Amino acid sequence: MLADLVQNSLDGLAAGAAYALLALGFTLIFGVLRRANLSYGPAIMFGCYAAALTHQHFGAGLFMLALVTIAGAVLAGAYVERLCFAPHREGSAIAAMVASFALWMQFEELAALVLPGHLYAFPMLHEGAPLALGAFTFRIDALVLLAVAILVCASLWWMLYRSRFGLAVRAVIEQPTAASLAGINVPRVLVRVFALASAIGGVAGYLVVASNGQITPMLGMWATLKGLLAMMLGGLGSLPGAVLGGLALGLIEAHSQWYLGPQMRDLIAYLLLFVLLAARVPWMTSRSAS
Amino acid sequence: MDFYFGLAQLIGVHTLLGLSAYIVLLTGQVSLAQAGFFAVGAYAAGMLTVLAGWHLVPALGASALCGGALACAVGFPALRVKGLMLVIATLAFGEGVRLFFFNFDYQIAKGELKVGPVGGEGFRQIRFFPENGWETWEVMLFIWVFVAGAMALLWWFDRSRYGAVLRAVGEDELAAQSVGINLTAVKVSAMTVGGAIAGVGGGLYAHYTTHIEHASFNILLATFAIAYPIVGGLRSVYGTLLAVIFVQGILVEGLRFMGDWRNLLFGALIVLAMNLRPSGILGKGRHA
Repeated sequence: MLADLVQNSLDGLAAGAAYALLALGFTLIFGVLRRANLSYGPAIMFGCYAAALTHQHFGAGLFMLALVTIAGAVLAGAYVERLCFAPHREGSAIAAMVASFALWMQFEELAALVLPGHLYAFPMLHEGAPLALGAFTFRIDALVLLAVAILVCASLWWMLYRSRFGLAVRAVIEQPTAASLAGINVPRVLVRVFALASAIGGVAGYLVVASNGQITPMLGMWATLKGLLAMMLGGLGSLPGAVLGGLALGLIEAHSQWYLGPQMRDLIAYLLLFVLLAARVPWMTSRSAS
Repeated sequence: MDFYFGLAQLIGVHTLLGLSAYIVLLTGQVSLAQAGFFAVGAYAAGMLTVLAGWHLVPALGASALCGGALACAVGFPALRVKGLMLVIATLAFGEGVRLFFFNFDYQIAKGELKVGPVGGEGFRQIRFFPENGWETWEVMLFIWVFVAGAMALLWWFDRSRYGAVLRAVGEDELAAQSVGINLTAVKVSAMTVGGAIAGVGGGLYAHYTTHIEHASFNILLATFAIAYPIVGGLRSVYGTLLAVIFVQGILVEGLRFMGDWRNLLFGALIVLAMNLRPSGILGKGRHA
């Protein structure tokens, strides 16, 4: 019993690490733009498909594929930013959301066009037996995912709290008008944050796809939904909250899958989120950004 | 010709879906739960005609009641939050409804075969129209009677005091509240009317496709529902109709020559429309 609980929690944390990265990207974009980017997941998918194609044609190695994924995600992110968010900076948030939805359709269509067929193999991060430690097993790829997630969080923390760029980002999140008056080039910060968030999404996308060993056109919707959910669970606009929300989502999913069955897994997560939002729990309604 | 009648059926049902989001958007709220109400209406009407042997018209009435009641019940807790939090809360609810139907089994034996919804496989054999010998054009007319009814209802709302109240809440909640408008009552009533319209749309959808499954009611459908009134503009109900014709007409028929590439152009057209007219095709101009 207890062993199951611990093992499930470990698996949940590994899944949660990926959610945390997705939520971080979402939160960064939401923090500076106050807009929801529905195309965030599909842009990540674009990067993953670019990597899958590179692998198919050139047989590139794992590290190269990771770079291609990140570059692809940033490129797709730039496309989304230019078309959906740059024109709607002052205007309607919902127009930007609908526009980002339209690009989502584009990315899905593109994925279906370049790799027709539903499922494609992707080179695995690690094949072979999981690491056994006493009664517990650790999947090597899950450990890599956790380690990379910690590394990304640490670098992000350093970048936001110890560099001039980070100071500018936090100023823009806090109060864009004041930041602009203080001489910060706000549009430039926005573009850079968007690129940074896309890169983090690319890292998450690559790790997830390489751990699963396969890629489907559902990846885009999956990443958008999980990222939004995790961001919301941790409290909208808070970066530490995004990490905690991601880990919490992973744990909730792992445990509800174990105790209630795989069909109930997503249902429980959605119901919990709905109840928490409707109950207006304090950490979700506070709008603090950093 | 049947093909165009089929397209008109699709446009009619999507117009109902768009109108259900339109009235909620008038109060300034963005709801991704409309696909959930649509799903409830579809399953309710399908089960009533197939399992209980009802005629379609009372079954659609029941769909409207189910959709409206659920929307009312969800509206009270959900509309306490605003902005992106409401978007996610309604998204969570809509996906919750979808996953409920993913796990929902209720079959009874009818003659040789078993009918009724079966979880992931969906609900097959909703054969009210073929069993009663309806032609495609008759089904199309039937659907458009409901579309016209819903449009007339919303158009009349817009001319009445109620429409003014809805728009007042959408424009400025604080101002509306300070002249004595009960925000919760207005928002929940709009949600309820929207839920009922979505329920009817779902019931019609279930019967003209004859087969429904949970996957059709996902976040894509929910986003389409709010995209129609946004692309069309919130000025009048015609905007939503125009947007559905623009989107579905182009997506299904107009871009046929593009073959597999049509979604790429479709996405570009929506982005273009949003950039040129951020408040919709029939909305205010860019700098208004």
